[in-house]
Amino acid sequence: MLNKIRNLNYLLIFLVILISFIGAAGLYSAAGGSYNPWASRHLIRLVFFIFLAIILALINIKFIYQFAYIFFILSLLLLLSVELIGVFGKGATRWINVFGFSIQPSELIKISIILSLARFYHDLKFDEIKRIKNLFFPILILFLPFALVVIQPDLGTALSIAMLGIIILFASGIRIWKFMLGFFVLILSIPLSLNYLQPYQKDRIFSFLNPEADALGRGYQLIQSKIALGSGGLTGKGFLEGSQSYLQYLPEKQTDFIFTLIGEEFGFIGTMFIILLFLILISVCFYISIKSNHIFGRILSIGVGSNLFIYVIMNISMVSGLMPVVGIPLPLVSYGGSAMLAIIISLGLVLNAELNGNLKKLHNA
Amino acid sequence: MFYSDDKKQYSILNRRTFLLYLLKVSFFGIVGWRLYDIQIKNSQKYKTLSKNNQIDVEIIYPLRGKIYDANNNVLASNIKVFDVYIIPENTENINKSLNELNQIIKINFSDRRKIIELSTKVKKFEKIKVLENINWSQLEQIESNKLNIEGIFISQDYMRTYQFDDVVSHIIGYTNKPNREEVELPFIANMPNLEIGKDGIEKSFNPNLIGKSGQREIEVNSYGRVIREISRQDSKKGNDIQITIDLRIQKYALNLLKDHKAGSAVLMDINNGNVLCMASTPSYNPNKIIQKPNKEYWDSLLENELSPLTYRCIQGLYAPGSTFKMVVAIAGIVHGIIDTNTKHFCSGKISLGDRLYHCWKNNGHGLMNVSDAIKESCDVFFYEISKKIGIDKIARVAEDFGLGKIYDVPLPNQKKGIIPSRDWKKKKYDESWYPGETLISAIGQGFVLTNPLQLAVMTSIIASNGKYVKPNIIKQNNDIEFKKLEKYENAIKIIKSSMFKVVNESKGTAYNSRSTSAPFAGKTGTSQVRRITVAERESEDFRKKEVEWKKRDHALFVGYMPVENPRYAVSVVIEHGGSGASTAAPIAKEIFQFTKNLEI
Repeated sequence: MLNKIRNLNYLLIFLVILISFIGAAGLYSAAGGSYNPWASRHLIRLVFFIFLAIILALINIKFIYQFAYIFFILSLLLLLSVELIGVFGKGATRWINVFGFSIQPSELIKISIILSLARFYHDLKFDEIKRIKNLFFPILILFLPFALVVIQPDLGTALSIAMLGIIILFASGIRIWKFMLGFFVLILSIPLSLNYLQPYQKDRIFSFLNPEADALGRGYQLIQSKIALGSGGLTGKGFLEGSQSYLQYLPEKQTDFIFTLIGEEFGFIGTMFIILLFLILISVCFYISIKSNHIFGRILSIGVGSNLFIYVIMNISMVSGLMPVVGIPLPLVSYGGSAMLAIIISLGLVLNAELNGNLKKLHNA
Repeated sequence: MFYSDDKKQYSILNRRTFLLYLLKVSFFGIVGWRLYDIQIKNSQKYKTLSKNNQIDVEIIYPLRGKIYDANNNVLASNIKVFDVYIIPENTENINKSLNELNQIIKINFSDRRKIIELSTKVKKFEKIKVLENINWSQLEQIESNKLNIEGIFISQDYMRTYQFDDVVSHIIGYTNKPNREEVELPFIANMPNLEIGKDGIEKSFNPNLIGKSGQREIEVNSYGRVIREISRQDSKKGNDIQITIDLRIQKYALNLLKDHKAGSAVLMDINNGNVLCMASTPSYNPNKIIQKPNKEYWDSLLENELSPLTYRCIQGLYAPGSTFKMVVAIAGIVHGIIDTNTKHFCSGKISLGDRLYHCWKNNGHGLMNVSDAIKESCDVFFYEISKKIGIDKIARVAEDFGLGKIYDVPLPNQKKGIIPSRDWKKKKYDESWYPGETLISAIGQGFVLTNPLQLAVMTSIIASNGKYVKPNIIKQNNDIEFKKLEKYENAIKIIKSSMFKVVNESKGTAYNSRSTSAPFAGKTGTSQVRRITVAERESEDFRKKEVEWKKRDHALFVGYMPVENPRYAVSVVIEHGGSGASTAAPIAKEIFQFTKNLEI
């Protein structure tokens, strides 16, 4: 046990804390120089989740391995219940109350997808991967949550699930042509699934696909976001010196648009520093993956690292105008419990994979 | 069986992991390049934009709710007014434009100079107000000449207006710009230019009448010019309010009061407490306060020593005089000190300690029972019984009859008045109570102070045989049932028959005001505003003498109508009106007759 604690990857933990602290600074500024309402809660959550992640890192990886499918089914049920509340209640929702905590199941489902695919490919002998019938299960695991998230409609999450699936399937060694086939099936399923949607659901999706048509003008939001980033220049306007008057008009300045605030106050140096920290964090995940001697640990680490990558790239592309605004937070920096929980917990799993990296066969051991 | 061996699998996985890693690094590269593009390469452009581009929120003011009387006559509403503006950038020569405008409507010279001066300071596209609230014919002329006058622009606005000038002004109040403290009020929120109610219903119901502001988000460039509208949320009109005042009675009563310098008349519906009339003179015209410039009018109101802004019905405090005797008599009966047979001899005065207490009738009334004492308003009878009742019991009954209280009606600044007691004097002056003060209080003089609304409520409670009538000025749809003060029922019956005699039997103090078309009952009151010297009292005709207006007695009358199953209660107070019998009672009679003819 003590040995395990000593062998924890402290670089990874340090990176998580550092990025979260930068997030807290941004939230402090977004609140007009106040710990309330965001920065203080952000830090409390950080402490709590890190503690949770370390506990997760110390338990036997076999438990995690055995729990993978159950976790997937539980997450899927949560997601489904959100869907039902959305149908029977008023309008769309992404939140569900579990033991008094408001949770976004679409964040949890991504971890459960990673775990399930990791277990599936771990159980499979390498020469079985090429069989067509063994493509069915992974596609099912990807498609169910994907479909549920699409009709929420949460296009950002749907897109990130699709990307995550593609990356994991690629990483697990599927032959390229099958991989391409699966990819096309996924693409084709989008217009097909659209046919089964209610008109109002379609409207919601198209309003996401075509944000310029939005009444409040998401395009306008984007212009303001770019102005905030651009006016930061090389060194930024200084901490708490960001011109709040623009950010006043960014409705999600504490969540999805926190990166613009940091860009305005700390400039290009600040944004590059954050990107560098994320790159190191993702590299650590990949390093752990390569080091791992079992497929479960490998896929898990690659999956978690890729998940992190998808968040970061989508968020920054979104606020810098490389892709439409779809509502993806910047991990560990944006305010919001569910995403932070999902990210830190999944990194806890990576820590675990590293500590248990030398197991040969999980199910026989 | 090609890939059976683990080594091969791992080498494939390693290769793919490496490919993925490269892909990710390159994505980071793309994002980094994008940020370089925005933050370094085009930074200057965005920096300028950040200075230039701003969003303004323009507030759309809500329309203030209307106020109606009991019969749906509009008492307060908003009228469209037109203001004339000039936009400097739209005219080549601002002087020329103003000259042309001047030919239609005179603009005085100093105003013109101010406008021209202002036009050199503000931005070229900013509108400058030239004329406010122009009338229709002026509007028409300007509209037809607009093409000839460059830069002229007419804008529509709303102004509060009161249809009946001074008739209901005290109840309704008026609107004006909020002062520094009022700006903080929650319902004003973000509307700095909102005119809010400053008095009366307009003040009490500000939160209801104001409504909700809307807003328009507009993008403006660095010069403040509007580029586009981003979003718009319309304002929500304030709620209308209907009050219980009957405009006809209110007008009629006010006209009667206007024969006198200052006074008030309150008429209540006993059944539901609705106040039908609450007239106070002198009054003011709220329209003259609203229309700017108003300084002259405002100053004239403040300088007027009769203070027209004072709402005498609730803010005027008067010694109730003999109208207070009902309360004392009821206190005597319920505490078993007198009954209908108890008699006292009035010789015109009694002595207590080393002082003499006079009846208004110098020669005395002779032997009096309670009924006669009220009918003829004998003071000595009440001196005698008050000695036995004591001030504290009188005070408690007075409070039961609604005196010395502030009512839960939405009129600001009600004056509470004074119902004295031993405790009260101890607290107020730290002095003990003197027996002589009980005597003075028993005839409604001395410390006792009431406002006219309180007197009307007192009369309503008597007229309804002890129902705890509460005044109400906001029209309500549901029926109101007041609880009854059972313990006073018998005493009230005795008093009511006496009040009938006051008006309808000879020797009754208000016999001259009796009415055949609308028989009523009541009680006169004449309250001294100064001490009468012994020398004056001894001169036979001191009451008939012309005394200076300010030194004359206040004239009061309270009453109810009809005699059986009363429906209306009235209180009339004429300041320095002489005597209740000669001045106040005739007004009450007129109001009763007028009200009866309306057949509400």
